[in-house]
Amino acid sequence: MLKYVTKRVVAAILTVFALVTIVFFLVRLMPGEPFTSAKLTKEVAENMNSYYGFDKPILEQYFTYMGNLLHGNFGYSMKYTNKTVNYIIGQTFPFSADLGIRALCLAVSIGLVLGIIAARNRGKKLDFACVLIAIVGTSIPDFIMGALLQYFFGIKWGLLPVAKYLGFEYTILPACALAFYTLASVSRIMRSSMLEVTSQDYIKTARSKGLSELRITCKHQIRNAIMPVMTVLGPTVASVLTGTFVIEAIFAIPGMGKYYVESVNNNDYAMILGMTVFYGCFLVLCNLIVDILYGVADPRVRIGKR
Amino acid sequence: MKKRILAALLTLAMTAAMVTGCSTPSTGGDSGEGGGDSGAASGEKVFRYATNTEPTTLDPTKGQSIGDNEIQHAITEGLTRNTAGEVKPGIAEKWEISDDGLTYTFHLRDSKWSDGEPIKAADYEFSWKRLVDPETASPYAFIGDYLKNGYAVETGEKDPSELGVKAVDDKTLEVTLENPTSYFLSLIGSSGQYAPLRQDIVEKYGTDFAATADKNVYSGPFKMTKSENNEYIFEKNENYWDVDSIKLDRCELSYVEKPDTQLSMYEAGDLDYVMVPSAYVPDYQDKAEKFMNGNVDFCYINSQSENKVLQNKDFRLALNYAISRKEYNDLANTGIYEPFNGLVFPGLQAKGKTYGETYEMKSYPIEGDQEQAKSHLDAAMKELNIASPGDIEIELTTTDAESSKKIAEVIQELWQKSLGIKVKIRQVTYSEIYGNVFPEHDFEVGYGGWGADYDDPYSYVELFKGDSSYNYSQFVNKDLDELLVATQKETDTDKRMDMLKEAEQLILDEGAFVPLQARNIFYMLDEDTTGINFYYCSLNIDWVYADVAQ
Repeated sequence: MLKYVTKRVVAAILTVFALVTIVFFLVRLMPGEPFTSAKLTKEVAENMNSYYGFDKPILEQYFTYMGNLLHGNFGYSMKYTNKTVNYIIGQTFPFSADLGIRALCLAVSIGLVLGIIAARNRGKKLDFACVLIAIVGTSIPDFIMGALLQYFFGIKWGLLPVAKYLGFEYTILPACALAFYTLASVSRIMRSSMLEVTSQDYIKTARSKGLSELRITCKHQIRNAIMPVMTVLGPTVASVLTGTFVIEAIFAIPGMGKYYVESVNNNDYAMILGMTVFYGCFLVLCNLIVDILYGVADPRVRIGKR
Repeated sequence: MKKRILAALLTLAMTAAMVTGCSTPSTGGDSGEGGGDSGAASGEKVFRYATNTEPTTLDPTKGQSIGDNEIQHAITEGLTRNTAGEVKPGIAEKWEISDDGLTYTFHLRDSKWSDGEPIKAADYEFSWKRLVDPETASPYAFIGDYLKNGYAVETGEKDPSELGVKAVDDKTLEVTLENPTSYFLSLIGSSGQYAPLRQDIVEKYGTDFAATADKNVYSGPFKMTKSENNEYIFEKNENYWDVDSIKLDRCELSYVEKPDTQLSMYEAGDLDYVMVPSAYVPDYQDKAEKFMNGNVDFCYINSQSENKVLQNKDFRLALNYAISRKEYNDLANTGIYEPFNGLVFPGLQAKGKTYGETYEMKSYPIEGDQEQAKSHLDAAMKELNIASPGDIEIELTTTDAESSKKIAEVIQELWQKSLGIKVKIRQVTYSEIYGNVFPEHDFEVGYGGWGADYDDPYSYVELFKGDSSYNYSQFVNKDLDELLVATQKETDTDKRMDMLKEAEQLILDEGAFVPLQARNIFYMLDEDTTGINFYYCSLNIDWVYADVAQ
């Protein structure tokens, strides 16, 4: 087990290192410049370039950046002068993570239940209803879902706050909007995985032993069927917890989602790199946890992997 | 069995976390702002509004957008204060200007920073030197070029100590300018970059100076008490010299990225002021008010383009006469902007009236003139030996913003239909267009725009001055350059204004660019709120003197 974990961790570190290196050089190939505005003069642009060290050879810049990175320092944003990338992430990540955890709890708990109900009632009306929810959930884009919730609950009925993130009641609408897609995909995967398990030999064995349907479902079906859900949850946790561009924008949540898109639009090199490394580490970490959990849950995985 | 208990515990923990736990990250900081509830109940006067461009900095020297400057206008006090074009004494009580218009002697009043320290002349000297110092790398350093040696310091040719600003004593500031600049008092009253700074504070925080609200002290009518989580809270500065004129106790500015969300928040009563997103303007026409923000949009024509037709004056004029600005505006902007056929924003001040009222516009007709267009096109083709208009192809560069794309398509259609030429559209990112395309003159015709930093036509006509950094068109005209240099030296303001009008006329006659529109901003304001001012250079909304009915 220890050997398995060590291997996974080393692979994870190498992945992040490669990611940083590739992105560092890729951003320099992007068209455009980091300092751009209609008012910027040539002279000012030169001063700013040397202030941020862009007049130095690219390799020197790379080693400086990697050196800083080892100390956990992402450097200064070029768009938001005198704010560090660390500060911006530190300010925004708690909001994104808070929203993400709420949405995930909703999505996973309800999604699993729906998936189980659907599988147990295969072909019946309940199954149909659950599948319908899953289809609607995956096909309605989150910006429409968000806007609809906001309009009805916020403006028309005035039940919940329209936007911002200042207390529990503010979290409900964005969490629901964000949960919807994940909820739908979890229930779909759970349903098909449950059905697959149903035809396995050990279920037949259990049935022939005369166990009650409830015991079979709880003890044998769910435990085995949940593995594929775990697989998707790794990357989902990473992406949901690190902020979503659309939902955060609609509900004016001070999360980190917007910086993914905006930093690229602004050619804010430090910010792009900071966001990529942060998200990359988070994703690798989530996958690592899933890998380890696999090993715990199913010994065959541990042995199967060299 | 153990496993089952563990599983049950985990489930319980998860459910508990969902319902009660993971309390929302605190937004209030130390000040403990309640957030949602405005202070109305407690008798406080609060003004709440939103912006969709996130402020890039709270450091006055490094401000680079209208949004940045709007914040500085409330928390800093210049030597003068410019409220919607009206210039009144600020920290300077009175001043003398030398006959040649080059030396200003400001006499400062007794006034205090928000921490109780006196505001001294040296605070201005320090701030202005920091602005142009290349070490500071301020994106707006060029606005210090008015000061003697400003440009030389900015480019590293001279030491900041040689800048034309000197604190004679605590209460006297002597300023020397490069040229007599009639709008200097207006400029320093609305540009945050000319605000005073405390050297001890700047040095104490170093690169973290003004990173957050608590890392600065304030000279203006308001002090900032919070700047996190997209919320900016301003509270009345009791140390402000003119605190009696300030009615608001607090202002809450939220950064809300989506204009639609801002509108929803206004509808739900969470905001007192909102800009109506352009797509919604037709629906809100009867509820919304409007102001002009001084932005004019146009197409630059690269007059030294490898595409020879663009070097031809007749062809450039044909492009101009071919477009009905009215039709264009209806198609491209659902008619919400003002069709415009000039260069200088007509709302600027000139000879006691507005520029638009003072001078008559002699330009291409707003509805276009197809006959003129045709005859100019024929003249151009004859000169260039082109047989058919179909042989002419020009490329129109624009950003990939949805609105710019639509504008480009409308212009393309109008030119193709009217002149029979081919127009190709090229889309680049915003960062590319101002980072490479325009500065490197890598375009034929390009959609752009301009808003002034100061109330003077020079800001607009300078775009076509031969040696200007903003001369993306590579337009060179000796008469124009001479005229513009002369306006810099002229001390008779009326005469100077006439010269600037002459310069604008010359640019129009040469067909140097294709004017399109002047922007309107539509907004809604809560009926209890009064005293909001709007301005058309360097800042738009000015709520410093706002009042809220109880």
